[in-house]
Amino acid sequence: MEILRSIIEVLGFVLLIAGAIAVIELYLYYHFKYFNKSWFWAAGFSVFSILVFVLLKTTGFYSDRLMVYAMIWEIFFLSVSKYLIRGRNYMPYMLLAPAFIGLGVLLFYPFFFEVYLSFHDLKLTTIMQWKQTGTIPFVGLRQFVNVFTIPPLAEAGFFRLLGRTLLWTFSNIFFHVLGGFALALILSELKIFRGVYRTFLIIPWAMPQVVAVLALRGEFHSQYGFINLFIKKSLIAFPWLASLGVAPVNWLSDYPLLTCTLINIWLGIPFMMVIILGGLQSISQSYYDAASIDGASYFQKFKYITLPLIKPVLMPAVTLGTVWTFNNINVIYLVTGQAGGTEQADILVSALYKAAFTYNRYSYSAAFALVIFAILFTISLLYSRTFETKER
Amino acid sequence: MNKKNAPRTFLQFVMQVKKKYLKQILMHLLILAAVAVCVYPLIRILSVSIRPGDKIVSTDLSIIPQGASFLSYMKLLQDTNFLRWLWNSLLITLATSFIGVSLASTAAYAFSRFNFLGKKSGMVVLLSTQMIPAGMLILPLFLMIMKMNLMNTYLGIIIAYSVSSLPFSIWILKGYYDTIPKSLEEAAMVDGTGPIGAFYRIILPLSTPALSIAFLFNFTTAWNEYLVARVVLFSSKQYTWTLGLFELQGQFITQWGMFAAGSMLVTIPVLLVFLYSSKWLVSGLTLGSVKG
Repeated sequence: MEILRSIIEVLGFVLLIAGAIAVIELYLYYHFKYFNKSWFWAAGFSVFSILVFVLLKTTGFYSDRLMVYAMIWEIFFLSVSKYLIRGRNYMPYMLLAPAFIGLGVLLFYPFFFEVYLSFHDLKLTTIMQWKQTGTIPFVGLRQFVNVFTIPPLAEAGFFRLLGRTLLWTFSNIFFHVLGGFALALILSELKIFRGVYRTFLIIPWAMPQVVAVLALRGEFHSQYGFINLFIKKSLIAFPWLASLGVAPVNWLSDYPLLTCTLINIWLGIPFMMVIILGGLQSISQSYYDAASIDGASYFQKFKYITLPLIKPVLMPAVTLGTVWTFNNINVIYLVTGQAGGTEQADILVSALYKAAFTYNRYSYSAAFALVIFAILFTISLLYSRTFETKER
Repeated sequence: MNKKNAPRTFLQFVMQVKKKYLKQILMHLLILAAVAVCVYPLIRILSVSIRPGDKIVSTDLSIIPQGASFLSYMKLLQDTNFLRWLWNSLLITLATSFIGVSLASTAAYAFSRFNFLGKKSGMVVLLSTQMIPAGMLILPLFLMIMKMNLMNTYLGIIIAYSVSSLPFSIWILKGYYDTIPKSLEEAAMVDGTGPIGAFYRIILPLSTPALSIAFLFNFTTAWNEYLVARVVLFSSKQYTWTLGLFELQGQFITQWGMFAAGSMLVTIPVLLVFLYSSKWLVSGLTLGSVKG
């Protein structure tokens, strides 16, 4: 019974979306097609106003201000379609409209809403007021000052988190590329079983990330996890290891960031490997043959043929990987996110998530998010700059 | 093989084989070690999931434990809402992928076939959305969903997911449409269909591979999503499987076996689909980036 109800709920929603798209398309079609009819203005304006009025009233969002905005928009759009567009080349806009309205409502509006939030004060004590009246106190730039002066979490402040994030990002990317390169090079040299190995090697990428991270988290458990069991067993087998300082480690409580990094390296290598392998296979064998004739060693071939030719494939993947790793909340939150979990491993984005949803500091985290966005933007800009100059 | 190189004794023969194959054998060994590292966690999950009830937490490292049983699976299906979680995930994921792919397919057609004012800037806008950190938009989306009273509902989570993979899907589909010759549509239009008819009858059927990649991409993104679901859904009945598993794993000692069983049930189908489709998925990825 409940299953049936859930199907109806979701199906009804999908149909609602389809209906909304149909209305949008009809709306555009009217404006693009009937712009030179004598009743274009009168009919368009009155039908639109009535429809918007009914819609706002039934959904409970009605306010005089909104209604006026809608009417102004309609006058603007009617005149644009009558005097500027005049039904020329309207097809692409009709095709694009649903997607871009969706992006506007669910991507750009939230973005500007975040900017709005960052200049106001929304927290647990003001949220009920906001929910009922829609107003929150304006505080100007104070939230942005707070980001740098008040730590987002219980312990670590902004700059420590930033340092940790950079360390996390670059160590991960370094080992992803290193591991990916090594595996891809070996795979491309193999004569048999290459496909089979490749299939097995992308398992970390293919597994659902939640499962992979949670399972590995279990393996780092100090008593029952595989890593410590392995250390203990090898200590029994080779007692002399103890004198070298090998001992079971409390991974999750003593070295949480290292644990997260190890897990993320495991997760990220297959992607790089697949990208690099694809690049290696596209390099023509004749270059290598020519180099062999000239007596080049393996490392010379690697340096003068493989590296330069793989760069156009590798650089976008590295840029993408950097952004992904920088933004990776998943691994760190899944490992340390339980109630009472440690904050020793948090990077900027995971601190943002916890500040918003564990500590409920909404406006603070909005400002925090904008600061992080600015940092990320700068990094990607620098990346693309160096990438472009090297291309030329 | 001429006479000079022919092995005279067995030892020489071994030396020759060694010289020829040593490098290959070494590399195979290295790769096998890497394969072991990649596969071992999965095997561990499997072995934990079939441990007998009294030995779920143990320091045993054998792959098939003594007295293996499917007790954890039975317990998982009977004592928890696991099937319900899977069902929730499936509904949410199917709805979001359907919405996402339909929006992307038409938008990509506009970008691929038409010249219009704002085409270039539209593409740049699409690319730049990829720079917005995903974690950044969770907060405003959460507040919007709260304001619309859609907390803890399917609709709230579907709304939050539906456009997240849209830019990427548009890129993939545009890249694929570009490879379909324009003359096909022109021929159809000569025969009397409009641009919509040409799109519906020619382009869509021809681009089923790209459409399925886009669908798959949308599907896996939503299927594996955790962070948004965590803040929007809060009653156990509405959980997606990711939330459910996190809860089972949180209580480490008691639920470890059930967690492993659930992981197995979720992972196997995803793994099979992914391994089957990985070739196309990667080519789609690089297609998008090269064209950009």
